[in-house]
Amino acid sequence: MLRHLFTLIWNRKRANLLLISEIFFSFVVLFVVGVVLITTAENYLTPHGFNYNEVWRLQVRAGQGLKMPRAELDEVLRHVKALPGVRTVALTSGNVPFVFSTNNSEFSYQGKKSPVTNVYDADDHYLEAMQLHLREGRWFGPAEDGSNHRPVVISQDLRQSLFGNGPAVGKVFTYLNPGKDPKPEHQFLVMGVVDNVRMSSDFNAAEPSVWNRLIPFDTTHWETANVLVRVAPGEGGALQEKIARTVAGVTRQWTTEVRVVNDDRLNRRRYTLVPVVGLSIVGLFLIINVALGLFGVLWYNISQRRAEIGLRRAMGATGAGIGWQFLGEMMVVTTFGVSLGSLLAAQFPLLNAFDLPAHPYLLAIGGAAGAVYLITALCAWQPSQLAAGIQPAVALREE
Amino acid sequence: MENLLANPTSYSQAAPLAGAAGTPVLRLTNIEKVYQTSTIETVALNQVNLVINRGEFVSIMGPSGCGKSTLLSLMGLLDEPTRGTIEVDGRPVQSYSDRELAGLRNLKIGFVFQSYHLINDLSVVDNVELPLLYRPGMSGKDRRQRALAVLDKVGLGARTGHFPSQLSGGQRQRVAIARALAGAPEIILADEPTGNLDSVMGEEIMDLLLGLNRQDGVTIVMVTHDEQQALKTERVIRFFDGSQVG
Ligand SMILES: Nc1ncnc2c1ncn2[C@@H]1O[C@H](COP(=O)(O)OP(=O)(O)OP(=O)(O)O)[C@@H](O)[C@H]1O
Ligand SMILES: [Mg+2]
Repeated sequence: MLRHLFTLIWNRKRANLLLISEIFFSFVVLFVVGVVLITTAENYLTPHGFNYNEVWRLQVRAGQGLKMPRAELDEVLRHVKALPGVRTVALTSGNVPFVFSTNNSEFSYQGKKSPVTNVYDADDHYLEAMQLHLREGRWFGPAEDGSNHRPVVISQDLRQSLFGNGPAVGKVFTYLNPGKDPKPEHQFLVMGVVDNVRMSSDFNAAEPSVWNRLIPFDTTHWETANVLVRVAPGEGGALQEKIARTVAGVTRQWTTEVRVVNDDRLNRRRYTLVPVVGLSIVGLFLIINVALGLFGVLWYNISQRRAEIGLRRAMGATGAGIGWQFLGEMMVVTTFGVSLGSLLAAQFPLLNAFDLPAHPYLLAIGGAAGAVYLITALCAWQPSQLAAGIQPAVALREE
Repeated sequence: MENLLANPTSYSQAAPLAGAAGTPVLRLTNIEKVYQTSTIETVALNQVNLVINRGEFVSIMGPSGCGKSTLLSLMGLLDEPTRGTIEVDGRPVQSYSDRELAGLRNLKIGFVFQSYHLINDLSVVDNVELPLLYRPGMSGKDRRQRALAVLDKVGLGARTGHFPSQLSGGQRQRVAIARALAGAPEIILADEPTGNLDSVMGEEIMDLLLGLNRQDGVTIVMVTHDEQQALKTERVIRFFDGSQVG
């Protein structure tokens, strides 16, 4: 019977072309939505690599056209750290977690090239403030004051791309294009390796990262200082005000803003989710359209094939048998569409597109195929029942 | 045409061995068929009593609308009478389930229609295989073999790969007859099989049916408007307005 259905579908390929292409199209849409959803969900379930709870982001601005000397800034930080309820204070660059600010570069080590890597400035207390997970070596500290190179800590994924499974701690790497005679601060001495971090949003994948040590006796003058403040659980608005007053107590010209990193996270989450939800809704809408179209086409097909149905009944088919035949035909048509779609979809993992691992693609192919079969089966169900109920004597006398 | 029928083929008509010639194969008792629509009630058959014996060639005649097709679809177990009983081989069909009725149609009955009812998207041989498709446990190879054998028998051995649209009306009806024969039925029910054909092609089809009846012992019930054809059959049953008149 299955062969008979294939013969029938094959001989009707012109008529079935529209159905097959609709199914192919639906499959591709579901596949794309599937890959996005699976990747997003997998990212969401991956640890962030740091603890965003009870961390605040303190931004101190020198004011229009003004700069702040490092010594004065250190003085402010000392006062903030001394406040009851404040655990740690760490000076860093503007690209703090969950804000729309990035700073990235590419690096190399003995001919091995890194992917695009986020570059952070961090002082000696950053590890404690962020609660990163140290895997190898240690965070930089005063022992590196005399270092000839820039002490850095790198994330595990950066470590893998630069050093593979060989030793990393103690090695020195450079920018991808270091120039002829790179300055010592452009030569990066690996002090430690931390777990991968996901700092852009809850739904983004981990990105390779490097933390450059901010040298304490740095003489640069700052316009804006970004400070991560880890506080005791339960601290809130009162402490935030106290911090602002403390900064103002040192110098009146500077302005401060205190934000809760977790709020930034929730805010960023919305932004990241909008396109995903949008894509899913558009996908859903298309699928509903296709399903309705399918339903109509099947209904029409059956009305066109009443005589054939009567004939098959006369030849010994039962009503239920007719129903299964129409459902089966739809499944065969679906198989054509899904096969074509899978052929296309399989190119993504085969060509290693978008640097994603193969499994979200494979999962999405399976999921999209399952969903398409389910949708077509649901659409075909009612028309098939209709076909099963056609009275053979009536159908055969028409024409 | 005749010599084609006389040719020995690998195909054998096995079914008529199931019962002795002359015994009743179909018995209709006090049959009434009423079509009920929202506005009117049509009595298509009224008090019909009929016995078809094994090996007979019966023709049914009567004016348009007198209930001939209705009678054939009752005999073919495609529809149920409003009143009365139909017996196949002495067993009333009311006692059969839908599945059993489908099985009976498949095994015992072959249908031939005025408008052929071929499936246009299937090749000639695929069309002929159709009844065998509903016969459980038959291999694809066996089906093909039998289909080719009956196509040979009706003189279409060279057209097996054609599609119905590539055939003449007479050839199409021969495909339909081959299809009816493929399942080796005891009875062939033919509803105006020559109705769409010119007299020459009609003659060919008639000869084919006569050959099947005489050489292979197939029981045939044929509806016709052609007096000449009816005279060639063993028995003519005449209908008028839903009732038997002779
Ligand atoms: N499904 C139906 N619903 C209502 N009335 C029907 C139905 N089928 C047949 N009839 C009526 O039953 C009567 C007998 O119809 P039938 O088709 O059996 O006639 P017929 O003898 O085969 O005619 P013809 O020679 O034109 O083929 C007609 O009056 C027809 O209108
Ligand atoms: Mg009729």
